[in-house]
Amino acid sequence: MPVTMDTKDLAFQQPKAGAPKDYRTPILVRLWKEAFGYLLLLPALAIILGLNLYPTVYGIFTSFTDQSLLDPNHFNLVGLANYFKLFADPIFRLSFLHSIELTASAVLLQVLFGLILAHLLIQRVPGIQIFRSLAMVSWVLPIITAVVIFRFFTLPNYGFFNLLLTKVGLSQWTRNWFGDENFAFLLVLIMHLWRNIPFYAIAFMAAMQAIPQDLYEAARIDGATRWHRFIFVTLPNLRYIILVMVVLHVTFTFNNFDFVYLSTGGGPVNATEVLPTYIYKQAWSGYALGYASAGGVVMLVVLVILVMICRRVIGGYETQ
Amino acid sequence: MKLTHRIIVYLGLALFYLFLLGPMAWLLLCSFRTSDSIQSGRILPALSEFTCLNYLEAFNLNNFPQLVGNSILIATSVMLLVVLFASLGAYGLSRFPLKGKPYLMLTALLPQFFPYVLVLVPFYVLMSNLSLVDTHIGLILTHTSITLPFALWMLTGYFNAIPRELDQAAAIDGCSRLAILFRILYPIALPGLVVAGFFAFVVSWGDYLFVSILSQSNSTQTLPLGLQSFLQSLQVKWGLITAGTVIAIVPTVVFFAIVQRRLVAGLTAGAVKS
Repeated sequence: MPVTMDTKDLAFQQPKAGAPKDYRTPILVRLWKEAFGYLLLLPALAIILGLNLYPTVYGIFTSFTDQSLLDPNHFNLVGLANYFKLFADPIFRLSFLHSIELTASAVLLQVLFGLILAHLLIQRVPGIQIFRSLAMVSWVLPIITAVVIFRFFTLPNYGFFNLLLTKVGLSQWTRNWFGDENFAFLLVLIMHLWRNIPFYAIAFMAAMQAIPQDLYEAARIDGATRWHRFIFVTLPNLRYIILVMVVLHVTFTFNNFDFVYLSTGGGPVNATEVLPTYIYKQAWSGYALGYASAGGVVMLVVLVILVMICRRVIGGYETQ
Repeated sequence: MKLTHRIIVYLGLALFYLFLLGPMAWLLLCSFRTSDSIQSGRILPALSEFTCLNYLEAFNLNNFPQLVGNSILIATSVMLLVVLFASLGAYGLSRFPLKGKPYLMLTALLPQFFPYVLVLVPFYVLMSNLSLVDTHIGLILTHTSITLPFALWMLTGYFNAIPRELDQAAAIDGCSRLAILFRILYPIALPGLVVAGFFAFVVSWGDYLFVSILSQSNSTQTLPLGLQSFLQSLQVKWGLITAGTVIAIVPTVVFFAIVQRRLVAGLTAGAVKS
């Protein structure tokens, strides 16, 4: 007992013994000691502020100018002109609608299928570990490769899907799926589901495993069915992780440019045009930087509203 | 009851994994088939139709090895920079009494939610003023900046979970403050560092948007841009594209296999209490 007391005392006295010394050290050395924590953060903060925050703030400013890519260093302030032009533009309104539709349907279906897959992955059947470890493969692939995989899978003449349809005698259903106005948007949605459902499932599964088992025991004793246990025990305990995943993916889906641009380019006939692709084209094909920035600002505002809606609807943050 | 339960679970899993892995498996299979075989319209080819020629052809294209080289150079540098800067920052946020810490955290995490297309325009102007357009350094800095917020946030959570008594003990033994990070926290937070590095690598490896703006010649193009230009060429060579795609997938999948166990805990750090 005395031995442990000694070491404990030593641990507490060491900084105290050093304290008076501090006052004798030159002021620069003391400053250096105080600044150390900030210095650690400096490189990361400098990069984030300089290369992310500054361009965003500048982009908001650009949205009030007529800046053009042809001569980006000379521009005039034009007030809200870009915004008026934007809301009068039918293709912008269409892209806006598509973005909202895509984000809402993708995230809702991802939560639904994520819950189902998580429920399957949590079952202790033989070989489940293999399924668990394979689950997130689609999430780590570069999006361009996911696009190639789906375009190749749905090729008009020799893609697997059309070959299969022909094999089972439904050859009249075969088509160029990505080139079809009625199906291109659905395919973009499917690619989003394909990439992200496993991430939801694995995150939900981890959260499900953390739910205390006695809650289920208590529910069982009270005569709750499987379904009731899921609704009244599992779901309330998953609220916070659902909120995190939804906010993460509302942002991802709403901001995502690659899936649409690389698979359909927004076509056919604007059927898949979303805000990021529309704005990108305005800036880099139309050279209208100010106009494009106004579109970006609208996106930012909509995103903030969407995230606020999610927090209101799902709740769950107050429990953490 | 037990058996039917199992059958239902396996059936459900089979459906999900057919959807998740089926399209991938088809691409992998076809990357080893001759172009004639792919276009023959047969689902299962004869054994004689298998070939590695697509991969050879890809590597014999004059700019393909350079695409791979650029991708590896950029993604690896981003990974190292992000792990270094994020761990330094996380150490500061986790262990030192900084004024306005919640605001610092918020400032650091906020950019994660900004639309990239809004950032892109001033970003390009900034980069061209710094003469960093079409340079490796420009791309490395760009990818570092878009992955740092998340890595910083994640590692701060990781470091917060490590008991402070360890640093104090090391300090008493005469360890300097930087040495505490490298010699005490690094080994313990290794899984977190690996996941942060993995995240940075994967984002950089797969980025199309920023590279499409900042890269203007073959010397800085990366694999995603190369694959896109293969797709857009008039005579689409699917044998070549499938092989190129598999080559672009392999590093991420290998890396994924290494971190797989830690990935979820890392990506949702702080979100799931365990």
